[in-house]
Amino acid sequence: MSQENAPIKIDKWDGNALKNALDDAAKKIMNESYGLVESFKLIDGRLALCSIAVSCSLFALLWDFLYPFPASKTVLIICVACYFILTGVISVYLLYFEGGVFYVGLEKDKAGIDPDDKWTLQSSLKKYDDQYCLKITYTGGVSKQTRSVERVCSVTEFFDEEGTLCYDLYEATVKGLKDSLSADKKAK
Amino acid sequence: TMGLLDISFLSDLKRMNKRQVFYQFLSFGMIVSSALMIWKGLIVATGSESPVVVVLSGSMEPGFYRGDLLFLTNDLEDPIRAGDIAVFRIKGRDIPIVHRVLQVHERDDGYVKFLTKGDNNAIDDRGLYAPGQLWLEKGDVIGRAKGFVPYIGMVTIVMNDYPKFKYAVLGLLGIFVLLNREA
Repeated sequence: MSQENAPIKIDKWDGNALKNALDDAAKKIMNESYGLVESFKLIDGRLALCSIAVSCSLFALLWDFLYPFPASKTVLIICVACYFILTGVISVYLLYFEGGVFYVGLEKDKAGIDPDDKWTLQSSLKKYDDQYCLKITYTGGVSKQTRSVERVCSVTEFFDEEGTLCYDLYEATVKGLKDSLSADKKAK
Repeated sequence: TMGLLDISFLSDLKRMNKRQVFYQFLSFGMIVSSALMIWKGLIVATGSESPVVVVLSGSMEPGFYRGDLLFLTNDLEDPIRAGDIAVFRIKGRDIPIVHRVLQVHERDDGYVKFLTKGDNNAIDDRGLYAPGQLWLEKGDVIGRAKGFVPYIGMVTIVMNDYPKFKYAVLGLLGIFVLLNREA
């Protein structure tokens, strides 16, 4: 996936593409420059919930095919209820648990004894807006304390006229943010 | 602009990892599942195996026209009465017919048989029933019309007359959902 170090080029008017490009670049910076190990627990949770919901509906489809309505009435009621409850749960999960988090990186303890420190990245970019907000949160593995810093920049600072991402500029911004958190950590 | 769109599609998708690709398929699955669950939910709620049907012929004019969408319920406890608009299937054929109940005969044991006729037809439906069949029974009924929306069903009629158009529309929608990466 990272074979191409070719510059990312997108349609500069597409808000979705802008945010995805910036998020992907931030992930790459965290993984490569700081040797963090990406944790997929949050995404896996979401994938599991959605998979269960889809299986629910497939099961209902199959059961109704084998035992046509009205014989399948009870099973259908259960599946439909489960499905919509699950979609509710997924919405809550996306809103509160994920809340714009697109990356969780673990900083392994060098001695291998203490639990990992956690670096979380969240971002937001409103529709038709140019203000990209990046928030880095540090959670100490041992201390369990959290510290975070966020920065709002216009996407115009990182993309040129053709929609190419100026990786170096963005890298400097992201690294600057993260290092400021690390500095804080050492000072305290 | 076509060139830019091509590149933006590919670049967004190339950068996705396995999980994100899986999520694209899951999102598609969720949309299909939601539609499916709403449909099955309607089936259970109305008691009818086909709660929404399209009027296919002009045999019920001026009440219903070809292309009208009908909403059905199938309450088996509610007795069938002359004047009800029933949607039924003749055994051995899948096309549902929407006509009015003309005559009803009830026995003390609860057995009901009835005759139907389209408002706009000159004769009753005996010509449409299966050979030797003179009456319809409760089991033939998919439901009775409780509400309708005019014209909208024309889309279904067009899609069934031109199946290639239907597959093209569905195919395009599917591709759009699969390739559209959410933030």
